[in-house]
Amino acid sequence: MYQYDTVDKEFVADRSREFREQVGRRLSGELSEDQFKMLRLMNGLYLQLHAYMLRIAIPYGSLNSRQMRRLAHIGRVYDRGYGHFTTRQNLQFHWIKLRDAPDILDQLAEVDMHAIQTSGNCIRNVTSDPYAGATAEELDDPRVWSEAIRQWSSLHPEFSFLPRKFKIAITASAKDRTAAKVHDIGLMIRRGRDGQLGFEVIVGGGLGRTPYVGPTITEFLPANRLFSYLEAILRVYNRHGRRDNIYKARIKILVAALGAEEFARQVAEEWAKIGPEGDLPDTELARIRGAFAGTAFEPLPAVSQAFETAKASDPSLARFARNNLRAHKKPGYAIVEVSLKTIGETPGDATSDQMDVIADLAERYGQDDIRVTHEQNLVLPHIRLDDVPEVFAQLKAAGLASANVNLISDIIACPGLDYCALANARAIPVAQQIAQTFADPDRAESIGELKIKISGCINACGHHHVGHIGILGVDKKGEEFYQLTLGGSGAEDAAVGKMLGPALPYDKVASAIDTLVEVYLRERRDGERFLDTYRRTGVEPFKEAVYADAH
Amino acid sequence: MKALTANRLTDGDVVFWKAGQWVERFGDAELFDDAEAAETAEGQAKSQPTVVIDPYLIDLMESDGLWAPLSYRERIRALGPTNHPTHGKQAEGGEMIEALMHADGAARSSGRVNLIKRK
Repeated sequence: MYQYDTVDKEFVADRSREFREQVGRRLSGELSEDQFKMLRLMNGLYLQLHAYMLRIAIPYGSLNSRQMRRLAHIGRVYDRGYGHFTTRQNLQFHWIKLRDAPDILDQLAEVDMHAIQTSGNCIRNVTSDPYAGATAEELDDPRVWSEAIRQWSSLHPEFSFLPRKFKIAITASAKDRTAAKVHDIGLMIRRGRDGQLGFEVIVGGGLGRTPYVGPTITEFLPANRLFSYLEAILRVYNRHGRRDNIYKARIKILVAALGAEEFARQVAEEWAKIGPEGDLPDTELARIRGAFAGTAFEPLPAVSQAFETAKASDPSLARFARNNLRAHKKPGYAIVEVSLKTIGETPGDATSDQMDVIADLAERYGQDDIRVTHEQNLVLPHIRLDDVPEVFAQLKAAGLASANVNLISDIIACPGLDYCALANARAIPVAQQIAQTFADPDRAESIGELKIKISGCINACGHHHVGHIGILGVDKKGEEFYQLTLGGSGAEDAAVGKMLGPALPYDKVASAIDTLVEVYLRERRDGERFLDTYRRTGVEPFKEAVYADAH
Repeated sequence: MKALTANRLTDGDVVFWKAGQWVERFGDAELFDDAEAAETAEGQAKSQPTVVIDPYLIDLMESDGLWAPLSYRERIRALGPTNHPTHGKQAEGGEMIEALMHADGAARSSGRVNLIKRK
């Protein structure tokens, strides 16, 4: 992975020192809350319902064991022994004290981490494929481009005060694990007919109160022209984005208002003015690329007898292998998904002890490499098949071996009203109830891939618009209600879900999901996922069943 | 009936007004049945910007013979997150916590809504 150089280290340490001074000035009264709020948000520190929340950047969801151990340590010393992995591949601590925040930033800086640009109207953490460098599907390593964008966008003076926050996703595989089409910019690495590397550029996707699947404004952008083109997009947005209305300030509104064609024309015009001078020198890209070239794989047979034997004698390992293992680009290796969706637990939460276990496994068996997925799980991307039984045993001992990745209990949920100052309704207990309804692993497997995503408010941190089943918490005169949507997808077949009908009260949601699943099982044809069946039948059979039950 | 709440600056903890001081338990909060007295306290609270952030008044309702916040959001603030019963003020247990847990009033947190509108 990328290693901080002296410049990076000094930059992060400086920022930490600066924040310590700012906190001191706030506590002494020299800064008012209005003056301080923007400064703390620039360092990822929010005030939520019960305490401060610190959002720590995990660049493109990639970290090593030393960093994971430090997160575990911070959770243990400064929080309540756990952390919450988010849909932006970051980590949030929910019980932080302002007076501790400078010490925490120092601790993060020691392991090349920070909370810069995890809030505010700037370019946020780049989302990328958690299987990067491990999957045979990819055309290039998206981490190289993600890291280059991280460096380019960190404290970029022109893009530090955009009309609104700005999120970029990069995927290099046909299978999109980044939700690229619902980001402000989605970059999909493509190879041209002549073998040249490039990007399909999608702009103006987004969730929140006005969801859009972003349109493609360029089918093929030569890879070496990426940065001038990004600059052109951001310049057009910076110039014309709606600063007068926070609800209309995201780039998706501008793109929709101008139309993709006109937006693309303005970008092209700006791009021509910037020219190749705005691009990253090849030498710099090569330097960054070099940081990701270090993974050494052993020559191994494609089949591991040890693994096959262990699977044959342990059905729970066999189930884990079916649901949580993915093909690796190298024979004899596997990508191991670690579900943070244990039935009854909070989606995305990991205790400090569990973080330490993951760190140990990554160090001992996994080339010191850990990833966070936007679906709030973790990934050990390079595990030898021979080692999978031992990794599974240790995960199981730590309560981390749920074999439910991509299944109905693998639910995305935002922190919701249990923590978040913006939320209208709880999301976590709804996820817990649904997971418990489908706790039987045989039933969950027979249902197959089904992505439920829950948000506690219209800001859509839980990505409900792109859930196969989306659940949005709403406030009806102070009571929690939940609006169901069907047919969304955040993957390569991205779509915004359609509303099922009137919102349901809190205690009716899990049974409504059960009803939806029963309709799917009744209607599905061979090989169809829930989403496929819905797309074929439309909403009617689902609607009829849920609201017949409700009355 | 009303109470006055805020988050403490140094640690973000939920606190309640009691005769010019801030207390951590809702059960210890001063209750105002006089709107004018409540607003006077709110004004005093706002003059403590190095102690608390965003003080506001909350509406109360009766529950188990005691007073509890009317809004669900405010009850979660006074108790702690529902997914971790050992986190937050609910961990202490007791009669007041039980009353808050049993309260079933439903209304928006008007004090908070006003706070947002003012911003």
